[in-house]
Amino acid sequence: MLRLSDKVQTRISPVAWLAGPLFLLFLVCFVMPFCAMLVLSATAGNPFLDAQWTFTTAHYAKITADSLYVEALGETLWIGLVTTVTALGLGYPLAHLLARARTKTAYAVLLSAVVAPMLTGLVVRTFAWMTLLSDAGVVNSLLLQLGLISKPLPLMYNEFGVVVALVHIYLPFMVLTLAGVIGQIDERVEEAARLHGASPVRCFFEVTLPLSLPGVLAGSLLVFALAISAYVTPYLMGGRRVLTLPMLIYQQVAESFDMGFAAALGAVMLAVSLGLIFAYNTTLAKLVDRGKPA
Amino acid sequence: MKRMSKSGIAYVAFNAAVLAFLVAPLAIVFVFAFDSSPFIHFPPTGFTLGWFEKFLTGSGFLKSFVLSLQVAAGTVALSAVLGTGAALALARGTIPGSAVLVSVLLSPLMLPAILSGFAMFQLLVSADFGRPVWALVLGHTVVAAPYVLRTTLAVLVDFDRRIEEAAAVFGASPTRVFFEVTLPLIRPGAVAGSVFAFITSFDQFPISLFLAAPGRETLPIVMFNYMKFELDGALAAASVVSIVLAVCVVYTLDRTVGLRATTKI
Repeated sequence: MLRLSDKVQTRISPVAWLAGPLFLLFLVCFVMPFCAMLVLSATAGNPFLDAQWTFTTAHYAKITADSLYVEALGETLWIGLVTTVTALGLGYPLAHLLARARTKTAYAVLLSAVVAPMLTGLVVRTFAWMTLLSDAGVVNSLLLQLGLISKPLPLMYNEFGVVVALVHIYLPFMVLTLAGVIGQIDERVEEAARLHGASPVRCFFEVTLPLSLPGVLAGSLLVFALAISAYVTPYLMGGRRVLTLPMLIYQQVAESFDMGFAAALGAVMLAVSLGLIFAYNTTLAKLVDRGKPA
Repeated sequence: MKRMSKSGIAYVAFNAAVLAFLVAPLAIVFVFAFDSSPFIHFPPTGFTLGWFEKFLTGSGFLKSFVLSLQVAAGTVALSAVLGTGAALALARGTIPGSAVLVSVLLSPLMLPAILSGFAMFQLLVSADFGRPVWALVLGHTVVAAPYVLRTTLAVLVDFDRRIEEAAAVFGASPTRVFFEVTLPLIRPGAVAGSVFAFITSFDQFPISLFLAAPGRETLPIVMFNYMKFELDGALAAASVVSIVLAVCVVYTLDRTVGLRATTKI
């Protein structure tokens, strides 16, 4: 049996070359661009196009020199944080319901409701939120007609609007990550706590929640990483009052034509993202270890 | 059924509210697509198909929709071939360190697409290529092919190698084993991944923002530019077209290979 396996394995080994095309695409369209970005972030003049160029730290110095850029970075991280915490608060109970769905139909219905927004484009979902939250939008119209308010509430063109739409867009990622982890928790552990007299609330806070903490961390890191890289939603929902790092990068490219500075901002964002990805992968690896039988 | 406790009622009510929060914004788009008032206004005033007419005739919506479909078609074709090939190689090629290679090839899914788009744009400009459509297709493929790789790899890891070995023992050539055993077995993974690739490309914004040349923009970019200045039913109509298209594609997936494969993110 062992010899047979070996024989088949050595015979189909040239199959390894099939990874070549994707690897090449990855190298040319992913690795090289990021290398080019890092080079441009540290040079004056374009070393790919111009004959004259020198290394410089000026682009990075420019980020810290103007409080506008530091504030934009702070704003980006703040919006990411508020979005993540809100998505966690809204998503945890729903993930629990999804993970503990008793019937196939209930599971399918819940899953469709969670996945449906993911299949809808960012621009479409942001448009939907604009029709809901603008001054003449659905929410303000309803409140005005009911006589609860006398003039439209400022629900959009501010941080509030940005966060509401971002939570909607990234909530499914939180719910699916959490549902996976909650589903792994042995229900008998919860039942044991209940049998010993713990109230449902106490059972949740002392059994379910602690056991699902790695999932909470993984989901939060994922949503945070997605939220800080959003462009469409902060742009449209924030009006011109919210400025985030991705918006700043695009602005430098399209309006200021300052490629070197845009590249330096990109490098900062890359560093933050890589840190988050590393933390996310570490968390997931621990989860996988725990899932294995001891 | 046992009587619900207070916390049980709160649990159900809270979740119902969150589900409404998730689904209601998608439903409202359908209302505005058929509402006859000239701008976004609530409650609706009357029924019209005029916005779909505007989608088909004005503001470059149709042209960009066609381009989006073409780019998505190119992206799906490339992603399916490259992704499936790489999955086979990584699962069967006995490549040393293949686990690391998999996570490297999947990394475009983790890094912010807006950064990838920006970086590719810088390289294109530096190489003096401008922004041709093929670059847009390649850019989309970088973030779409990893989906095919992941879903196909999941199927390959799960399935029983002995089926292939049995075919080989009974005298089938490696080529025949590949086409008559391996390929049919990995088809569900490849199809599911391709559907993801299609939706990723069709709805793609951040990569297209940097790589689509002016005058040759995809539907999400045209909608975004329109929304900067106007908010009317034409956008709702374009949204409805996009949503219906995605639903049709996913429905086809469910009919052919089942939705279970798509629930893993």
